[in-house]
Amino acid sequence: MARLTPVGTLVLHQLRVRWRSLLIWGVALGGLGALYVALYPTMSEFLNDYIENAPDSMKQYLGDLQGPISVDQWLSIELGNAIIPIALPFLVILMGARTIAGSEERKTLDALLSNPLARWQVIAGSAATMAVSLAGVLALTWLLIYIAVPLAGVDMPPGQLAAGLAALWPFCLFFGALALLFSSLLRRGAVAVTISAAILVAMYVIEGLAEAIKPVEPLRVLSLLYHYGRPLEGDFPWTAVLGTLGGVCVVVAAAMAAFARRDVYT
Amino acid sequence: MPSAILTQGLTKRYGRRPGIETLDLEVVPGEVFGFIGPNGAGKTTTIRLLLDLLHPTSGQAAILGLDSHRDSVAVRRSVGYLPGEFGLDVRMTGRQSLQYFAALRGMNDLGLAPELAARLDLDLDVPMGRLSRGNRQKIGLVRALFHRPALLVLDEPTTGLDPLVQDTFLQILREARDEGRTVFLSSHVLSEVERVCDRVAIVRAGRLAALETTESLLEKRRKRVTLVFAAPVDPSPFAQLPGVSDVWAQENTVSLRLRDGIDAVVKLAAQHTLVDLAVVHPTLDEVFLGYYDQRQPWPV
Repeated sequence: MARLTPVGTLVLHQLRVRWRSLLIWGVALGGLGALYVALYPTMSEFLNDYIENAPDSMKQYLGDLQGPISVDQWLSIELGNAIIPIALPFLVILMGARTIAGSEERKTLDALLSNPLARWQVIAGSAATMAVSLAGVLALTWLLIYIAVPLAGVDMPPGQLAAGLAALWPFCLFFGALALLFSSLLRRGAVAVTISAAILVAMYVIEGLAEAIKPVEPLRVLSLLYHYGRPLEGDFPWTAVLGTLGGVCVVVAAAMAAFARRDVYT
Repeated sequence: MPSAILTQGLTKRYGRRPGIETLDLEVVPGEVFGFIGPNGAGKTTTIRLLLDLLHPTSGQAAILGLDSHRDSVAVRRSVGYLPGEFGLDVRMTGRQSLQYFAALRGMNDLGLAPELAARLDLDLDVPMGRLSRGNRQKIGLVRALFHRPALLVLDEPTTGLDPLVQDTFLQILREARDEGRTVFLSSHVLSEVERVCDRVAIVRAGRLAALETTESLLEKRRKRVTLVFAAPVDPSPFAQLPGVSDVWAQENTVSLRLRDGIDAVVKLAAQHTLVDLAVVHPTLDEVFLGYYDQRQPWPV
């Protein structure tokens, strides 16, 4: 059997340690998505009435909805633009924060760094673990939703949902990378979590308010959510995805540089 | 053969607080080197500088001929390190933890781990969250030793170990030395340093206070001499003898500390009727405390 590189060993170890929690995340999000799909046939009439009678500002907030609401729009409102982009980044924010500052606090970093590992490899291993973990959770989410599609008797092309969830992968990864950077710069894992989560929530709030409050609209460019649009129901947001992946690379490189310069304490 | 450890002007300051100050130290291959001092003296800082966990304010360190910072990955390939404090992933067993560390070292097996675990009476298949403090320390020791490193850096290695396991562990260190490997042992348990170390460095407030063979350090120890006379005697003439200190008298007994030879004391005592004479050689602890006694001049 081919021997793994140190980064490969780090990734495999982290996945072995975390597989249960990843499974829980995937089942929870996929189960929720499946529930929305299953409820759609009975909810659609109520939803259409609700949208028809909703004030314009609410319609705008929900994506300028016109006419009967489709299953992919329904999933997009509930899952693609609310639950996944807010909840799933926390999976990787916690992982990123634990990598350096968290390990230092738990006093496990010394033992790890006593091995013949370069510091950049620890960061690369963590970033790769986050990427693989997110991909796994999103794949499981997609699978569970798609099991529900024929059972609910709704029409939804599998590729569209897959593309929409795939677009959310770099979005979530970006916040994990931010947590990794703050974990490399700071000495408290909780602070790395707080800052990264605050940035995420700020982006969400800006995007939500900009639909209804004019003075906030110029700030929308600062929110990643604005650049992604509605990935579960529209075209694949190539520009946002590629831009975010570039951003992830820059932030991870900055984390490597910060960790290389950093003292590790007990 | 390059030095196992060589530091030149190694300095680390934490803001205005000194960690270690211009440390010049050489540890030769194949010796067990004791690095002793109280908490906060700079022992752990020095070790962390050697392992590139801390970056020096100035100066440099070389391990087995390699720069401790520039060549840190290669250095750690040849070093086994036991941190003074360490956490364990409580969800894993000791075996799983060692398998992970072996994979990071590119090893195909667990090396010396099964043998070491047996000698230290450690069950590797128990989740580490269920281990006692002493058994957790054993996990750390096995992790430091299992890949047969050329240099062992151990920070307070016997913490939490029972006396029998301490004996076994010190025997393992002697065997490592006999195989030509080097041990750098930081400790404040001076009895173990006395038992196993070939040379000892004493650090005080971030500076090297002494660096000698354990033997010569012990030779310098101040003996406690107790003289019992047939009748009370005036102790003041004893206090005036060279090398004598801490003289006290009670009834027929005079007790004193003596740094140099005993001849002058015996001759003075012989002027009275001497009933008994006892010379007690202090342990390394007392030598160590002597270095920390603010009244004593620094030997280096």
